[in-house]
Amino acid sequence: MIEPSQQASDYALVKRVAAGDQEAFSSLYDRLANALFSLAYQLLGDAAEVEDTLQEVCLQIWRSAATYNAKRSSVFSWAVMITRARAIDRLRARGRRQRLAETAADEVEKSVGVSSRWADASHVSAIKDDAARVRSALQTLPGDHRRAIEMAFFSEMTHAEIAQHTGSPLGTVKARIRRGLLRLRDGLDDL
Amino acid sequence: MISEAQQEQAALYALDLLSAEETAAFEVELSVSAELRSLVRELRESGAALAHAVEPQTAPPALKQRVLQQIAAEAAPRAAAAPGNVIRPSAAAFGRWLPWAIAAGLMVACALLARERAQLQDRVAQQEQATDAARLRAAHAEEAAEVARAETERMAQESRQIIAAAQTTPVLVALSATKDGPAKAQAVVAWDAARQSGTIKINNLPSAGNGRDYQLWAVDAEHKDPISAGIVRVNADGTTVVEFKPTAPAKSVQAFAISVEREGGVPKREGPIVLLGTA
Repeated sequence: MIEPSQQASDYALVKRVAAGDQEAFSSLYDRLANALFSLAYQLLGDAAEVEDTLQEVCLQIWRSAATYNAKRSSVFSWAVMITRARAIDRLRARGRRQRLAETAADEVEKSVGVSSRWADASHVSAIKDDAARVRSALQTLPGDHRRAIEMAFFSEMTHAEIAQHTGSPLGTVKARIRRGLLRLRDGLDDL
Repeated sequence: MISEAQQEQAALYALDLLSAEETAAFEVELSVSAELRSLVRELRESGAALAHAVEPQTAPPALKQRVLQQIAAEAAPRAAAAPGNVIRPSAAAFGRWLPWAIAAGLMVACALLARERAQLQDRVAQQEQATDAARLRAAHAEEAAEVARAETERMAQESRQIIAAAQTTPVLVALSATKDGPAKAQAVVAWDAARQSGTIKINNLPSAGNGRDYQLWAVDAEHKDPISAGIVRVNADGTTVVEFKPTAPAKSVQAFAISVEREGGVPKREGPIVLLGTA
């Protein structure tokens, strides 16, 4: 997904951050902030809370840079998963589980709608950036697979809760997440 | 070869959807399979890529300033705590004598400067030698860093095992096939001694056959016979995840075993043990 040269550059920055280099942290922030802010906004939908979350995420990255393992994930994925975990913690702390479950379908539709618009636009011109590639890859997935992985990723629901919410058997939900993620991987490789 | 069940666990693991016990059990599988680790990394990258699919937002510029200030505030105590920056209590008391100290210092400094110059020349020569040595070390630095990372990872793994063995929950026990069991069968038990309950995850174990059931046993140092932990039925694809509670308190579990028994299970083991793992 991320270009190898960019991954190497990010890794070098994280190593410097681990050594206490604030300038390197500033550069890393510039690389990641907008993507992480957008993700947290998608999950939380409240600008003030998103800012607090991103601040927490940045502190966590600063404090735990030494434990980053490049064999497990790229720096981008590492930061994304930290952000997602922090945002989901906040959702749970706010006690919004029930409310989100009720509106999850709308949010997923909205998310899919966003994906569709961008993917349509990207068909017109060459796919040049990561965002267009992901949106385009998402469009190649069967609808139920796409909805399953989007619900799994963009809400705080567990797979059991997704099954309950959608009225699908747990095994079906698990299979959709598995197949959806595998096909997304293959789709990203092909683009 | 990665089974569909493992792919499923890998996908859920990559999106942080597994429970703590499932995560612990899956990490045991990960620790012994490079292929599985590679799949998890790919799926995690694909999952994280979903972050690109959201509507783009721009982080407020003021946020960066706040974050950098907070980082700087955190960094300051670290720097202050460095040995070279320690302020000794006597330094404050010395402040009263500062004007006198400056005057005396200037006199002494004049005398010392000549000697300093000679010493500096020596140091420059030493630094040149040290620079050469540093270049040699740098040539090997990347290799040494990789070795250090591997060593750190190994030590972390050992630490987790030691902590688990000491008291933290759950303790993980890997079960493998005995001579009487199917060669590819595997299982992992996550055992919580404090709660006297656990979860077993099984892969590649075929059906026990008509009129037969698999039965899980806890081998405990304080009991003469293994304690039954219940019947375990596998799915058609040879997998299952089952939560269990031994029928008697098991305070010093030494091993877990699965045997083939009469349908419905038996109070005391009779059949052959097909999977076994020591705690």
